[in-house]
Amino acid sequence: MKPPKFMYCDPDTVEDAVALKARYGHDSVVLAGGQSLMPLLNMRLANPDVVIDINRVTDLQRITRDGEVLQIGAGVRQSVLETEPLVADLVPLLGQVAPYIGHVENRHRGTVGGSLAHADSAAELPCAAVTLDATMVVQGPAGTRTIAAGDFFQGLMTSALDPDELVIAVRLPVTTRTAGTAFVEVARREGDFALAAAAAVVELAADGRFASLSVGVAGIAATPVRATAVEQALTGQPATAATIAAAAKEIAGQVTSADDMHATSAYRKHLAVTVVKRALGAAVATAQERSDGS
Amino acid sequence: MAAPDIEKPRYKYIGADRKRVEDPRLLVGRGGFIADLKMQGLLHAAILRSPAPHARIVSIDTSEALQIPGVVAVLTGEDVKAHMNPCMNFGPPTIAQYPIAVDKVRYVGEAVAAVVAESRYTAEDGVEALVAEFEDLPVVTDPRKALEPESALLHDDHGSNLGYERTFEFGDISRALSDADLVVEDTLHWGRSAGMPMETSGATARPGLNGVLEIHCNSLNFSYLQFLVANALKIPSNKLTMQPVPAGGSFGSKFTAHKVPTLAGFLALRTGRPVSYVEDRLDHLMNSDHHGSDRYYEAKMGVTADGMITGLDIDVVDDYGAYLQFGVGTHGNAFSQAVGPYTFRDLKYRLRAALTNKCQQGAYRGFGSEVHNWVLERMVDKAAAELGLEPEEIRRRNFIQQDQFPYKIPGGNIYDSGNYPAVLDKALGMIDLEYWRTEQQRLREQEGRYIGIGLATTQERSVFSSTEFWFWFDEPAFPITSSPESATITIDPTGQFQLQLHCQSMWGNSPETVSTTVVAEEFGVEPESVNVSYADTAHALPGTGPGGSRYTVMVAGAVRGAGRKLKKKLIDIAAHTLEVAAEDLELVDARVQVKGAPEKSLGLPELAASAYFFALNLPPSMESGLEESYTYDHPYTTLPSPDRTDLGVFYPIVGHACHIAVLEVDPDTGQTAFHDYVAVHDAGTVVNPKSLDGHVTGGAAQGLGSTLYEELAYDADGQFTSSTFMDYLVPTANEVPPFRIGHVETPSPYTEYGIKGGGEGGRLVTPSVVSAAIDDALREYGMRVRELPVKPADIVEAVQGAMARS
Repeated sequence: MKPPKFMYCDPDTVEDAVALKARYGHDSVVLAGGQSLMPLLNMRLANPDVVIDINRVTDLQRITRDGEVLQIGAGVRQSVLETEPLVADLVPLLGQVAPYIGHVENRHRGTVGGSLAHADSAAELPCAAVTLDATMVVQGPAGTRTIAAGDFFQGLMTSALDPDELVIAVRLPVTTRTAGTAFVEVARREGDFALAAAAAVVELAADGRFASLSVGVAGIAATPVRATAVEQALTGQPATAATIAAAAKEIAGQVTSADDMHATSAYRKHLAVTVVKRALGAAVATAQERSDGS
Repeated sequence: MAAPDIEKPRYKYIGADRKRVEDPRLLVGRGGFIADLKMQGLLHAAILRSPAPHARIVSIDTSEALQIPGVVAVLTGEDVKAHMNPCMNFGPPTIAQYPIAVDKVRYVGEAVAAVVAESRYTAEDGVEALVAEFEDLPVVTDPRKALEPESALLHDDHGSNLGYERTFEFGDISRALSDADLVVEDTLHWGRSAGMPMETSGATARPGLNGVLEIHCNSLNFSYLQFLVANALKIPSNKLTMQPVPAGGSFGSKFTAHKVPTLAGFLALRTGRPVSYVEDRLDHLMNSDHHGSDRYYEAKMGVTADGMITGLDIDVVDDYGAYLQFGVGTHGNAFSQAVGPYTFRDLKYRLRAALTNKCQQGAYRGFGSEVHNWVLERMVDKAAAELGLEPEEIRRRNFIQQDQFPYKIPGGNIYDSGNYPAVLDKALGMIDLEYWRTEQQRLREQEGRYIGIGLATTQERSVFSSTEFWFWFDEPAFPITSSPESATITIDPTGQFQLQLHCQSMWGNSPETVSTTVVAEEFGVEPESVNVSYADTAHALPGTGPGGSRYTVMVAGAVRGAGRKLKKKLIDIAAHTLEVAAEDLELVDARVQVKGAPEKSLGLPELAASAYFFALNLPPSMESGLEESYTYDHPYTTLPSPDRTDLGVFYPIVGHACHIAVLEVDPDTGQTAFHDYVAVHDAGTVVNPKSLDGHVTGGAAQGLGSTLYEELAYDADGQFTSSTFMDYLVPTANEVPPFRIGHVETPSPYTEYGIKGGGEGGRLVTPSVVSAAIDDALREYGMRVRELPVKPADIVEAVQGAMARS
């Protein structure tokens, strides 16, 4: 478990990092927190010529508010999502999701951009990004462009990022004050990747019906998915346990992961329904609390 | 009924809750582990591992690897065939094994070639540059199908995939089952897991002076079995010195682990330079010497209407993998306590050891007895459920009673002593079962939650005798009967203590805490003041090493024996000096004093000075110096009868435990969470409660791993699917509950101080208690744990299946 030889670069600026990525493209990998990359290197499952270490690029480590958007730099450590008041205030779902990412030691090193770029369909942040309609900001030799989360995750560990591009930041719409948010995950052990996980953001109308809702699910397909059938079935419906339970069954049709040693397909379907149901139930409860409190 | 007070002698150090003497150096990173060992000119090896489960090796092209700067040598099966004998092997000689595969590979991960280079990085570059060509052979993965005549063969020389078969019957099982009011039957599978120490196996071998090969390694038991490594390397045993290196954990995985030191020795001999080979985690997971048991059972138990067990009928196929290095010793272990703590006398046990395209089995905490105990307790629980008895009640009715000890079980082993009702009562006294049973009903009815209560017991056999390795065979090749342990105590000229142990016994246990506690008890010096060292094989007195929960008992015997000899010498010197009769003197608190007149005394420094520097002050003909050694043989073992109707006494120091767990199960996710867990153990006289609690906790955590999480899995094609810690799930502090531990002390009549072994008991009972709790939680769905590990998917599918049927 020793990596093969590679060239190591540690640029200080986004421009230098992008220039290196442009120069080495497919033959390079970006080292941020290293929580996934280092095992891949040590097991020689990744064999890059160049490792571009972006830990010195301090410009990537900022969290800023831009009107109704929260922008989180790609280099921000995942553990910051748990402690930063701006995040808790503007996009509370992130603070609910973060504790499920590995263990705290992993989160102190792992970065927001690293997890998104790695595009593991069982990971928490990609699921949150899809749920929150996030936008990835990426930069390449031709400048910056933005990619909607729904378009960013394209397949198993595959994203829309070009080989000469770097994820710079993720932009998240500020969650409305009355929305309820929740995240429910089932994993074999605490800190493991999800067997299935669901994130939910709901808004209730004055009559207790779903005004809008957004549900993202991790671990059930090649990418994190939006539970669109569930969302459609519930919009305008009363936010009751019975309607949620009935609609949650719709997610089973989106489960495409094959059997593995930790979960059979039948189990994963049942789990997907369960986590969607529970996440929606919990999100509705917080929405009700928030509207009662306001 | 409260546990009766057990009278035992009061000791000053033994039984005191003291910090371990090993910890200070470990906590500051000065453990001196194998990877810390640096030598000038040291080379490093990396291994090409087979990607194929079963294949003929057609060719290995080493040319590109050898061109990499820094690569020194590439060794393959051809080199091994030319220069080695097969590795040590306690199974049939027709199942030969080498540290690098010869002619064909038999499992994914078997060594195909070793690259030796100036660094591990370069060695791995060399491995990547090797080009090996394989011709695939039919793969054998299912151990039951392996036994069918049309199955492909793993070992042509053996002629069959049946490594070994034997049926033992003690009593009359047909009568026992036909006389029973109820016979419960079940099909059970215990899946493969293994000890996962933080440190893997490793060795550094160096061609030393005078043609002596030195192998430094963290494997155990090589004062016992060094000559077998020398034989594999084709060198005289006096030209091989094995140097003990402390192991960073083992749990069985370093028990006589021979492939790594043998390979390192071979690479050093072939290159003429020092070579280090330390398994990385991938090496260790797929190719350690010690995957654990993997057994398929058909079991029957008879019971009377009032819950008395009449007999147990076991038919087990054990998936041993590709080699049979320890024979079927893991079933000998099961035999040592085959009837558990119960009085039934009729037992039938049919064993078939199957060979498949998987890594070999070896030792894992329990050495196979934990599997049998799970099967026994699963059957007791099934009988109790069908008879409507509470789990504590059926056990209490069947317990061997205190006045029956020493108790000879069917098969011949002896249980030395015990008080099983006292252990059960102590456990029941630590948890309010009535509360939990009421709460179970309330949560089910009012909150739709499912909690279950599990209760199970185990015997904890300790201090193996080596007869267990061969009584299976009618004509064993080497029917060894010795399994001694030795110690040397030296008091230096200033009165300070040196203690030398004669095996590598440091494998994450507390050998120094235990042995220095005994020195303290005997001489009245503080344990922390005693310096401990380990003898290499060129100097070691007979020693077997830890394993089978033997070391605490055995080293206590050895140290006390050496202590008695040394005390006699001190008293003789004092008697001569003080001109007092020796019988009027006693050793108290590091001084030899006149009985009844303690002011007339000599301290150890004064006596030591005489012993080393003032020969003319010594009694006539006494040798100078203060050093005594003692070899303590197994305290109680007998030969098996020639016809094997009696297997003899081979594991007679037997503890007992009872665990009770309250577990919540989520039927929609299959997840589990503990509400409470109590564990009461009787390991005889407790030497150090803190270190014994550590054993119980660690063992129970590992039992939990084997029950719910850990699985060394092979798919139907023989591919290994647990190759990293992302898939081999060791429970962490998040999954392991706080165990509330209690002790009962029933001293052994056969050991020094009455100590019994306590190293494995935790893992012997957790699988049973957790299985029982899961069943109890989901009883309305007919849940029955039949296979370990039981995964969340299994639980949900059982519940969903029951709902679909209803």
